[in-house]
Formats: sequence, structure tokens, C-alpha cells
Amino acid sequence: MQRRTFMQRLIQLAIGTFAMSLPPNRAVAAWPREHFATAEFDRLFARVFGNQEIVDSDELVLQLPEVAENGAVVPLTLSSTLERIDRIYIWVEKNPTPLAAEFAFDQSVALYLTARIKMAESCHVVVIAQQDGRLLRRRQWVKVVQGGCGTG
Amino acid sequence: MASSIKIRSQRLAQVTEIKVLIKHPMENGRNRDPLTGELIPAHFIQELTLELNGKAVISAELGGSMSKDPFFSFRLKNVRAGDRLVVSWRDNQGFDDHVEHAIEEEV
Repeated sequence: MQRRTFMQRLIQLAIGTFAMSLPPNRAVAAWPREHFATAEFDRLFARVFGNQEIVDSDELVLQLPEVAENGAVVPLTLSSTLERIDRIYIWVEKNPTPLAAEFAFDQSVALYLTARIKMAESCHVVVIAQQDGRLLRRRQWVKVVQGGCGTG
Repeated sequence: MASSIKIRSQRLAQVTEIKVLIKHPMENGRNRDPLTGELIPAHFIQELTLELNGKAVISAELGGSMSKDPFFSFRLKNVRAGDRLVVSWRDNQGFDDHVEHAIEEEV
């Protein structure tokens, strides 16, 4: 009896210690694995946005090189005077993992973002901005001279 | 060890521009080691967070399609001298880092 109690305590202690040793960062659990899956762009895009309406918007200003010599580092700038944008998605249509990044902005962030993305081959870069639950899209074709996603 | 994160801030007319450079391989798991021919395991930052005075203002989820040594610029409104910005990241292998940056007086 005593031995069983001891063993139970030991197990509880072990579980407790394990739980405490887990990283406190809850964000990792939130990383949306399915969004960053290796999949065809159209299928993944539909999985992330479902059948929400997406409107093309010239008010999103997307700057990318017309020709990228090196697909490993393609600079991107997104800017806009639009207010209340709380989420940005950067997609590269022909990459094996088409979603490059998603950003959540709070009210104190102005819509201005630069980043550097990899491009496996020439394709559209698609940016989606969420404003009051509405989805806005801007895309640009980039010709890639040398692909930058490794062998994938 | 030196921090993997470098932060620069610049006060513009209406906003403060924050530049973040992180030293990280951002391997997507599809590259091969040129010497051995072995696949290099995926190793990329998944989570990037900017906190201003303890409050998360930007949280980003990243994939292996972001370039090696990620570099970002953002613009924040209502930033004042003395505000404290903390940038942190965590990658798919469980490594993480963070650095604090004090917003300076306008020059």
C-alpha cells in the first residue's frame, strides 16, 4: 500500500516536472502547422480562407523586383494608408510551402512591412490583408532567374 | 554569446520604424548538404513577436519560405522615448532568443 502510494507520488512528481520543463511559450502550440504545409497553392489557399470573399485592392501597395536574380532572397515591401488591417499573409504561388508568413498586427501598427522571401521559380507573390474581417488581395508576378528553395 | 537579434529604431514623422535582423539558417528541410548529399533537417523560425512595454503588438508565424537571416521592417504608431521593445523568436527545433531595445529620444 505504502509502496503504491510512493510510486503514485513519484509518477505525479515526474509528470509535474515534465510539465514545468515544457517551454512556457504558448505561441508555439499556436503555430498553424496546416497553413505551412507542403501543398499545392490553390488547395492550401482554399483551406486557409475557406469560401470567404476576397477583393483585389489597389490600396495595398506591393513592391517586389520584376526580375529576381537570386530566388533565395527576394525583398518585399507592403505599404498602405488603409487603417484597421489586423492580419497579413504572404504567399508564393509556386513554392513547395506556399505560405511564407502570416502577421497579426494590433492597432498600434501602421500598415508598412518589409521582409525577404524565398522563391523556387517565377510566379505570383500574393499578399492578403484582413480588414474588419474583410479580405483584400494584391499580387505581383516575379520572374526568378535562379530558384531559391533548394531542391524542392 | 552574442544575441541573434539586431534591432534599430528610427523616429519618422508620424511613426517609428523598427528594423529587425535575425541570424538564423531558415532551412526548409529540402536542401542537401553539398559535401555529404544528406538532406539538411528543417530548421526555421516559427514564431516572431514584438512587444512594446510588455504588450504584444506584432506576432508573426513564419515558414521555411522566409529567407536565411530574416530581416523585417515595421512601423509603429504612438511610440515614445523610453518605451521598451522586446523582440523574441522561437524555431521548430525549440531554440529561442529575445532582445530588448529602448526607444531613444528624437534626434
